[in-house]
Amino acid sequence: MPNLTGGREQMGPQAMCRRTLLAVVMGAGLTFGAQAALVPELGPLPPIQYDKAKAELGKRLFFDKRLSGDAGIACATCHDPKQGWTQNQPLSDGYPGNGHFRNAPTLINVAYKKVWNHDGRIGTSLDDMVREMITEDYIMNMDMRIMQERLKQDPLYLEMFRDAGYGEPSNGGVRQAIPEFLKSLTSRNAPFDTGKMSTAARKGLQLFKGKAGCIQCHNGPLASDGKAHNTGVPENFGIFLNPENHQAFIAFALFQGIENYMNLKRDPGYYNVTLDQADMGKFITPSLRELKYTAPYMHNGMLATLEEVVAFYNAGGGKESRKSPLLKPLGLSEDEQRNLVAFLLALSGDPLTTAEHIWQQPFPAEYSAIENWKDVRN
Amino acid sequence: MLSAPDDCCYGVDDHTTGSTAQTIKGGMRTPPPLAPLGPPPIPADNPQSPAKIEWGRYLFFDPRLGGDASTGCSTCHEPDQGWSWAEDISRGYPGTVHWRSNQTIINAAYYSKLFWAGSSTSLEAQARAASKGGVAGNGETDIMEARLALIPRYVALSREAFGTEWPLLRDAYRAIAAFERTLVQRDTPLDRYLLGDETALSEEQIRGKQLFEGKAGCIQCHNGPLASDENYYNIGVPGVKRWESDGLAQITFRFELYAKGVPEELYRTLKDDPGAYFRSRNRWDMGKFRTPSLRYTLYTAPYMHSGQFDTLEEVVDFYNAGGVAADGRTTSFPETKSPLIRPLGLTGQEREDLVAFIEAFSGEEILIEKPELPPYAPLFTRAQLQAAQEAK
Repeated sequence: MPNLTGGREQMGPQAMCRRTLLAVVMGAGLTFGAQAALVPELGPLPPIQYDKAKAELGKRLFFDKRLSGDAGIACATCHDPKQGWTQNQPLSDGYPGNGHFRNAPTLINVAYKKVWNHDGRIGTSLDDMVREMITEDYIMNMDMRIMQERLKQDPLYLEMFRDAGYGEPSNGGVRQAIPEFLKSLTSRNAPFDTGKMSTAARKGLQLFKGKAGCIQCHNGPLASDGKAHNTGVPENFGIFLNPENHQAFIAFALFQGIENYMNLKRDPGYYNVTLDQADMGKFITPSLRELKYTAPYMHNGMLATLEEVVAFYNAGGGKESRKSPLLKPLGLSEDEQRNLVAFLLALSGDPLTTAEHIWQQPFPAEYSAIENWKDVRN
Repeated sequence: MLSAPDDCCYGVDDHTTGSTAQTIKGGMRTPPPLAPLGPPPIPADNPQSPAKIEWGRYLFFDPRLGGDASTGCSTCHEPDQGWSWAEDISRGYPGTVHWRSNQTIINAAYYSKLFWAGSSTSLEAQARAASKGGVAGNGETDIMEARLALIPRYVALSREAFGTEWPLLRDAYRAIAAFERTLVQRDTPLDRYLLGDETALSEEQIRGKQLFEGKAGCIQCHNGPLASDENYYNIGVPGVKRWESDGLAQITFRFELYAKGVPEELYRTLKDDPGAYFRSRNRWDMGKFRTPSLRYTLYTAPYMHSGQFDTLEEVVDFYNAGGVAADGRTTSFPETKSPLIRPLGLTGQEREDLVAFIEAFSGEEILIEKPELPPYAPLFTRAQLQAAQEAK
């Protein structure tokens, strides 16, 4: 059962590594019965410190469409605060001219992660993640050299980069400022954290840790082990039937060097990272925080509601030869399933939809010219 | 080889160009004469074929060969605008503007150096650079190649033309080049005149031809069948006026310095396009550009690499003044200006004659019907996907 005990490296901050010897009372059909398993506790997220001036700059950048190639979309287009910092549709929009092949994950608590993207292909830093999103052709398709010069043309950015300590606007500054802003996007007042859970949610928590076994992967403060598992989520055929979506998928697979990409009829998931067939169809365990705002669910948005998600796991996950052995039919009653949903909802806090997190001022419709252009340094 | 005593006026590629310029008396070179245009050269590694040309015709007009599927070749090389773009500097990818004047596709097949600083040496390479450039097509290989595979007509045409199972982007560039090699004009009044039809030019034009080859000295660089020696010169053209007042254009100017890579101090201080310097990194190539052909110029205003002259009359006046514009503006790199450019002392009548002759480099306007673009189609059926799902 390597997945039960291997979470330490992935969880990072010390506060997240607190562990407890948890007697996992396994439900019917699970093979290891009452075997004791060491998993990180669910628990509150540790506070994150961030620099206000840098985060304020990052906030403006996050909402600025000029950070995409054709100035048509911003980070906030696919990670919309009003839609739980994701898009409430199965597949993300992607860049104009194409679609996408995965569901946009929420950015709330993104700074706590140690590995990003559903397939886990970035495990270094949010700095790299920001670069990936801005430059990838089916996402924002931005030549960062043009981006830098756009920013240098905006007097407010000149001021904000200086105030943030970054000097003149630069690509490196963007890659640092946006992560700083993302550190401000953290769960607040989730009933699970405040202790104000309903009775149903409390019952759900016991199921979560016990009979339903969710905690095997959804553990630690994020309710994620940060590891890749195959749960047998059905493919989203829309990816392959809609050429706009399919072209993004092909471009991705081609660029990543996945063989036979023209004939692929499934999302390879974590296979992309390891190129090991055993990892085909695995995806990184998502956090369960803020699910209230982030439907639909799973890497490809195939499950519309939390009720469907719980029913999916109650049935033992999907049909898939490489499916994780952790998934077996759970035998949860209707009541138990409702309680589990109630607990999942108790992991959602206040929506982050105020000026604290959303850039309110309009962006200039045109770039103003630099005066005395011939006489000043570029 | 060239052996003129003062070789500062010869461009960076003089020693490699294979130019037929000869050295003669007095240190002045005798340029090759104007000549009728023959068929375009066809590279041995990309022979013409009907399927290739047909695919290239579609691709030239297809905006899906670009970043957001909005900007293809014809977006900026608009047939109705001389297969060029009728502004000082070309339009660019959405959210940007270009930084140089757009050159016509007509007769581009004859150049051995494409772009104003000669950075591509084939039409195939030019198509690639334009489709990928940040202020041009801003496309990346993977998404553009993916799109081609989702257009059944292109899969069929590329298979017929190149024999591959799926279209390859490099073959798409070859197909575009093959199509462009059909966009030539060889029946201009000048061609007919040079082939023996003495009525093809008016008396005014014949006088203009004598000035072209004599007093005005145009032939020194605008020679041979293409009316271009494909060498690099600084003739005194001023930079893009718009850079002083247009924020979007200022962004692109700095981007080009950044992207092409110049030393920090030049990035900070340059206020004009250093042209051939980008390629050679030699100071003496600052502000030099490859001689353009004069063919089809009737339809390709405005003129010069920076698009600063709206009419052929302005161009002639500029040369007559020794490389200075009517408003007194000139190159930002006076130290590299060609000594071939000096005041010509042309009379009003002579200038009119010269303009009339330059017009003889253009025949009828070339317009073609834009093809109806073939649609995308899914690669798989729902049943195939269902079967794959069952087999997982």
